[in-house]
Amino acid sequence: MLELRDVDTSYGAVPMLRGVAMSVRPGELVCLLGPNGAGKTTTFMTVCGVVRAQRGKVEVMGRDMATLGTENLASLGVGLIPEGRRLFPGLTVMENLRLGYDAVSGRGPNFAVQLDKMCKLFPRIHERLRQVAGTLSGGEQAMVALARALIGEPRLVIMDEPSLGLSPKLIGEYFEITREIHRQGTTILLIEQNAEMGLGIADRGYVLVKGKVAQEGPAKELLSSKAARSLYL
Amino acid sequence: MAELLVQQLVNWITLGCIYALLAIGFSLIFGVLNVIHFSHGDVAMTAPFITLALAQALATALGASGPAWLVLAVPVAVLAVGLIGVLLDKVVIRRFRDAPAMMALVATVALGIVIRELIRHLYPQGSNPHAFPRLVSGMAFEISGVAISWFALLVVVLTVALVAMLFVFLRMTPLGLRIRAASEDRVVARMMGIRDARVFRATFFIASAIGAIAGLLFASYAGVTRFDFGVMAGLLGFSAAVIGGLGSMPGAILGGLIIAGIEVLAQTFVPDGASYRLVFVFLLVIAVLIFRPAGLLGRTVMEKV
Repeated sequence: MLELRDVDTSYGAVPMLRGVAMSVRPGELVCLLGPNGAGKTTTFMTVCGVVRAQRGKVEVMGRDMATLGTENLASLGVGLIPEGRRLFPGLTVMENLRLGYDAVSGRGPNFAVQLDKMCKLFPRIHERLRQVAGTLSGGEQAMVALARALIGEPRLVIMDEPSLGLSPKLIGEYFEITREIHRQGTTILLIEQNAEMGLGIADRGYVLVKGKVAQEGPAKELLSSKAARSLYL
Repeated sequence: MAELLVQQLVNWITLGCIYALLAIGFSLIFGVLNVIHFSHGDVAMTAPFITLALAQALATALGASGPAWLVLAVPVAVLAVGLIGVLLDKVVIRRFRDAPAMMALVATVALGIVIRELIRHLYPQGSNPHAFPRLVSGMAFEISGVAISWFALLVVVLTVALVAMLFVFLRMTPLGLRIRAASEDRVVARMMGIRDARVFRATFFIASAIGAIAGLLFASYAGVTRFDFGVMAGLLGFSAAVIGGLGSMPGAILGGLIIAGIEVLAQTFVPDGASYRLVFVFLLVIAVLIFRPAGLLGRTVMEKV
């Protein structure tokens, strides 16, 4: 569903990713780990087409991102959660969710049904539907961002550091929901700094260090690998 | 005294509505593209020329007097100016949306000059002022002995209707929601499947068409139009948007009313105030930029250009 082959990117003269190769297969939950400045968000932005790969190939749902615009990803069934949640702060929760739904479903007729599902999955959202998103707490924003990505029932969800800024209790809750969504069949690429939590729910993992994939493998092996621990964990 | 006050109140509201309509265009475009479209006033002031040319052409081709064809020419001009706005965005302005603000400033100022010079050279006797008729004439009713014109009434009703329609459009339609989303975060809007090009097209069409209506009312209020009226219309509309807060619709309306209020007060109470009215207006703009750079109702601080 997602493949990066030998990808290089840079911001101006500053190289960010160097020869990154990784993949996410249908039904998997893959965790991309790395310390600050490793290039995790650059990877997210490259996969989304916001940052263009200077070398190599990025394929999402079988389509080459060199020719596909960011705005086409949603209609291919890709739900995105950028770093810092980035809800539309002046729009209500309902409007944020509507945009997420329209993006993936092409303005299908079942918004009310899907909204109801999201309210059951995230009970706190229900009472906040008419509230402007910018006034929500960090935890609530995280839940709305996840709901916005899920409401159109995407096949692949890509999350960029969703646990950032959340309390430990909320992080636990958030990862539990992520695990549940994966169990229901959604493929997930989880870009995370919290290795224990991320690898705890993932099938496979990649460790990104200074813009390069330093280690990859099954999540359990990475968690117990001395080499991976010395690199990052 | 009561008559004078009522008369000035009517002038204030009429002028305030026209400035508010001009300011709405600036705010809408800035809100979505983060670009100050300095030629918006010039785009708006093409509407009276298109209307006059069209009415004249229709009169020549089909008979009857020019003003009789205004009914047809006005909506066509509004539509045409909307499309001109879309074209200018596609050809020029959109290219500067991610460029340093100074480049967009120079490009849109230059665009304004091009528009003015084109009117001057292409329109018959384009350097001269051209009489522009009142879109509606006659007196509607009296308040405290002051006759309120149909024109003043038209300006107020039209402004309220346009603002209400814009509000409904932005709040209650899918395209309006996408425009608001793109104005908040263009990158995430693209992640939500929103196509920039459609949003920009819609924004420029609406802003320019509303600007055209403001331009027609501006010329109709003055009774005359000139190739360089766009400079003043643009400056006043932009100032209103800055005072209210660029990007804020309520701010644009408030800014328009404040600027018109200052003009009317200066003309009424300051000796030779008509000559000084713009001094007061732009002193206020400077004061707002110093003490409240985001404007009275603005949320974002303007980028330095």
